[in-house]
Amino acid sequence: MRILGMLVVLWVLVTIVFLLGSVVPSEPARAYAGAGASPQVIAQKRKELGLDQPLAVRYVDYLGRLAQGDLSESVHTHKPVADDIAEALPATLELLFAAVMITVLIGLGVGVATARPRRGTGLLRGALVAGASVPVFTLGLLALFLFYYKLGWFPSGGQVSPGAATVSGPTGFLIVDSLLRGQPEVFFDVLWHLVLPATALALTPALLTARTLRSSLRFSLRQDYARTARAKGLRERDVLWRHALRNSLNAPLTICGLELGGMLAGIAVVETIFAWPGIGLYIDRSIAAGDVPAIAGVTLVTGIVFVFANAIVDLLQLAVDPRLRRLA
Amino acid sequence: MQTDANDPRSVTAAEPATEGASRPVATVRGLHLRLPGGVHALRGVDLEIEAGEIVGLVGESGSGKTMLGLSLLGLAPAGARFEGEAWLAGTEMTAADSEARRLARREHAGAVFQDPMTSLNPTMKIGTQVGEAAASREAVVEALEQVGFPEPERRLGQYPHELSGGLRQRVMIAMAIARRPALVLLDEPTTALDVTLQRTTLKLLRGLRDELGVAMLFITHDLAVAAEIADRVAVLYAGRVAELGVPSAVFRHPSHPYTAGLLASRLALAGGDRDGELATLGGEPPDPRRLPPGCPFEPRCPFSREVCSLGLPALVPSPRHPGLDACVRAAEIAPELEAGAARALALAPPPVSSAPEPAPGVAALELRHVEKTFRSRRHEQRAVSDVSLTVPEGGALALVGESGCGKTTILRIAVALERAGGGAVELGPGGRPQMVFQDAGSSLTPWMTVRQLLDERVRTEGLGAAERSRRIDETLAWVGLSQEVATMRPSRLSGGQRQRVALARAVIVPPALLACDEPTSALDVSLAAVVINLLRRLRRELGVALLFVTHDLAVARAVAEEIAVMSAGRIVERGETDRVLREPQSEETRRLLEAVPSMERTWR
Repeated sequence: MRILGMLVVLWVLVTIVFLLGSVVPSEPARAYAGAGASPQVIAQKRKELGLDQPLAVRYVDYLGRLAQGDLSESVHTHKPVADDIAEALPATLELLFAAVMITVLIGLGVGVATARPRRGTGLLRGALVAGASVPVFTLGLLALFLFYYKLGWFPSGGQVSPGAATVSGPTGFLIVDSLLRGQPEVFFDVLWHLVLPATALALTPALLTARTLRSSLRFSLRQDYARTARAKGLRERDVLWRHALRNSLNAPLTICGLELGGMLAGIAVVETIFAWPGIGLYIDRSIAAGDVPAIAGVTLVTGIVFVFANAIVDLLQLAVDPRLRRLA
Repeated sequence: MQTDANDPRSVTAAEPATEGASRPVATVRGLHLRLPGGVHALRGVDLEIEAGEIVGLVGESGSGKTMLGLSLLGLAPAGARFEGEAWLAGTEMTAADSEARRLARREHAGAVFQDPMTSLNPTMKIGTQVGEAAASREAVVEALEQVGFPEPERRLGQYPHELSGGLRQRVMIAMAIARRPALVLLDEPTTALDVTLQRTTLKLLRGLRDELGVAMLFITHDLAVAAEIADRVAVLYAGRVAELGVPSAVFRHPSHPYTAGLLASRLALAGGDRDGELATLGGEPPDPRRLPPGCPFEPRCPFSREVCSLGLPALVPSPRHPGLDACVRAAEIAPELEAGAARALALAPPPVSSAPEPAPGVAALELRHVEKTFRSRRHEQRAVSDVSLTVPEGGALALVGESGCGKTTILRIAVALERAGGGAVELGPGGRPQMVFQDAGSSLTPWMTVRQLLDERVRTEGLGAAERSRRIDETLAWVGLSQEVATMRPSRLSGGQRQRVALARAVIVPPALLACDEPTSALDVSLAAVVINLLRRLRRELGVALLFVTHDLAVARAVAEEIAVMSAGRIVERGETDRVLREPQSEETRRLLEAVPSMERTWR
C-alpha cells in the first residue's frame, strides 16, 4: 500500500516535470543548436528531439526513456543528465546526511534540555526563535564571514582542500571511500569541509524540530503514565528519557520529514555559497543556462530523495509507536 | 536498565510487611495543602493507616481525596505549599527533598490510578513497565501471577493496547505490589471498569492485602465500593475529614449530615419511583478559594444552625458509632439522621411503575436486525449481531452490559455516528437525535465559551440574535447553571457543570431522541443524581425519548422503564426494568446483578 502510494506520488511528479518542460518558454532545440543557429537547423534539431510530435506521444516516449534511466542530454555539459547527476549526487547526499544528523542531534539535545523548566531555558528559547528565523543564505554568509574570514577555523568551501590527497571509488561517497581505502586524512579533510555548509543547512530545521519536541515532551510529562512512572519512584531523568521521549517523537519526526523538503531547496543556495560540488551547484548552473533536461532531472531526483526520506520517517513512526502498527 | 538490582535497600524492601503489627505505615497530622491560585485543598487532615489496613477515602470530587493521596506519595502538584506532616514509612513527605521522596516512593509505596489505558505507557512493553518496579524478571512474572494475569511469561512482550481493560488494570496492580510496598495508593481503581470487572478487582485487592500484608489507601466516590473493601473509611469534605470509622458503623449510623446526604443520594436497585426527584445533596461543594469560616458543609446542610458557622468543627468521638465525626450538632440531630439512613438503606418493595405510558405504535427509534462487524486487515470482530429494539416516542430504554458487549456500538449506530453493517435503522419524526457523552469535558470545544457552544447549536434553527440569546439563558437556567457560566470556557467549569453544559447543548433544540453514553459514570453520586433528575425532567416536560447506555444497573433503573441486557453483541434479555431486575431470566443479567456492590450484601 505504502509503496504503491510512493509510486503514485513519483508518477505525479514525473508528469508535472514533463508538463513544465513542455510549457517553459525556453526552446530546448534552440538551446541545443546553439545561439545564432538558423531556423532550419533548429527545425532539424526539433525533429531529432521528437519535439514536433504531439504532447501525448512525447509523454509516452518520455516515460519510456525514464524507465531506462535516460534523462536525456544536458544542454550545458553536453553529457547525459543521468551521468551528471550520478557524479554530483554523492556529495549532496553526504551533505544532506550530515545536515540530518545535525538536525537530529540539535533537535533532540535542545528539545530535551528545554523541556523542563530550568534557569536560563527562557533565554535559550529566545535565542532559538531568533536563530530559526534567519534565512539559510544569511546564515551561510554569516558563517563564512565569522568562521572562515574572521576566525579561520573552517575552510571557505569545496569538498576537499585544494591540492590535498583524495580518493576515487568505489562508492563515490568521499567520506566512505576514504575510510574504505584507509586514508583518514582525507576523511577528516572532508569532515572539516562539511561542518559549515551542513550546519547552515541544518540550523533552521533543527530548531523547529527542537521546538516541536519540546512541546511534545511537555505534554507527555503531564500524562498519566508519567505520573505512574514517578509513583514507581523513577528519577525524573528516567521519566523523561524512558517514558516521555518515545511518546513525544511522532510530531518531531513528521517535522523532520517535511523540513527535509526545505533542506533540499536550501541545498542549491548552500552548495553555491560553499562551492560544494553537488547537485545544488549543478542545478544553479543549469538554471543559468536554461538547461531544461538538467533541471527536470534534478527535480526528479530530489523528488525521489524526498519521497524516500518521508517513507523512512513513516517507518520510524511505526517503530516508535506500536499502536500505529495495528492501523498500518 | 534494572537500576536497583544491586541496591542494598531493595533487600529490605523485599521483606514482607510485618504481620499484625499496628505500627502505622502512613501518618498524616494536621495536613494543610495550598495550591497556586489560592486553592486550599487540604485543611488540617489527620489520618493514620496501619500495616495491612485498607482505608477507604470517600467524598465528592474536589473534596481533596486525590490531593491527600498524592501528598502522601510526595507527588503533589508543582507549587504546592504544605503545613503539618505526612509520614510515609519514616519519611516526612512534605518537607523531604525530591530525591528523598523518590526513594520513599520507590521502597515503600505503589500506586494504581483510575484509567489503566492512560496510566500505562502505550509505547512500552508491559514486562518492561512492571520491570521498572520489580527487582528481576522472576519478580515481574511473580507479581503478574499474583494479580492473576494469565500466561505472564508469554505476554511480557505485549503492549498495553493489546490487552483488555481488566488485564491492563491487573498490570497496574502488579506494578504497584511488585516491590512489596508498605502502602499502595488506589485512586478510583475500579471507576473505569464495568461492574463484573470491578467485583473481580476488589476481590483481588483484598486477597493481595491478606497475602502480602500491604496497606491500602483506597479512594473512591462509590460508598458501596468503600463499604465492600475498606476496614476503615474516612469521609472527606472540603479538604477536611467529616467522619471516620468502620464502614458498617459509619454508613449504617452516619453522624455527619454530609455522610447521610451522600448515602441518601445513592441509587438503589429497588424502591423509589421514576417520576419524582432523586434526593440530592443540593448545591455544590464550596469554592476551595472562598471557604466559609465555619463548618464547610453548613451552606448545604439541612440541619444548620447559627452555631455551625462559628468555627471549624473538630474531629471528635461520634455519638452514634465508635468512630469520629466533625459535626457540632451530631448528638442533637442523631435521631433524624438515624431515620434518614434507615430510609436510604432500606430495601423497599418494588414500586408500581409510573413511567409515562409511551404512545403505542410511534417509535422515536427502531432498529431491526442490526449487524455490525469491525474489520481491520488482520482482525474481524463482530460487534453486534441481529439486534432489534424500539424506543417509543417519549419512552426510555436502557442498554446495559459489560464493556465490549456492543452497547456503545448500538448507540453510535442509532445516532448515525457509525453505519450499520446490516439491518434497518429508523428514526421517528423530530429530526436528528442528540448525544451526551461520558466525558463531558472532552466533548466541549475548549476555546469556545459556554454561550458560543450553545449558540452554535441553536443557530441551525434560523432564529434572530435576541431570540437565540433568550433561548440560551432559558436553557442554562433549566439545567441549573447561572448566567455567569455562559461567559466561561469549559476548562474553568467543574465536572458537574460541564455535564450540565453538555446536556444543555443537547436539549437547547429539543430532540425527539437523546442518546446518552454513560453520562453519569464519571460523576459523584450526588452529581449523578442531579444529571438523572435533569433527564427525568426532559422526559416529563419536553417528551424527549432516551436511549441510555450504562453498565450500572441502578442508573439504568433510575432512568428507564425498559431495559435490554446485552452480551457478546446480542440482546440476551429485555423487558420492564423492575421485572428484569427482580426476576432475571438470563445468566448475564444475574451476573451483572450479582456484581453490583451493595452495602446490604456486604454486611449480611
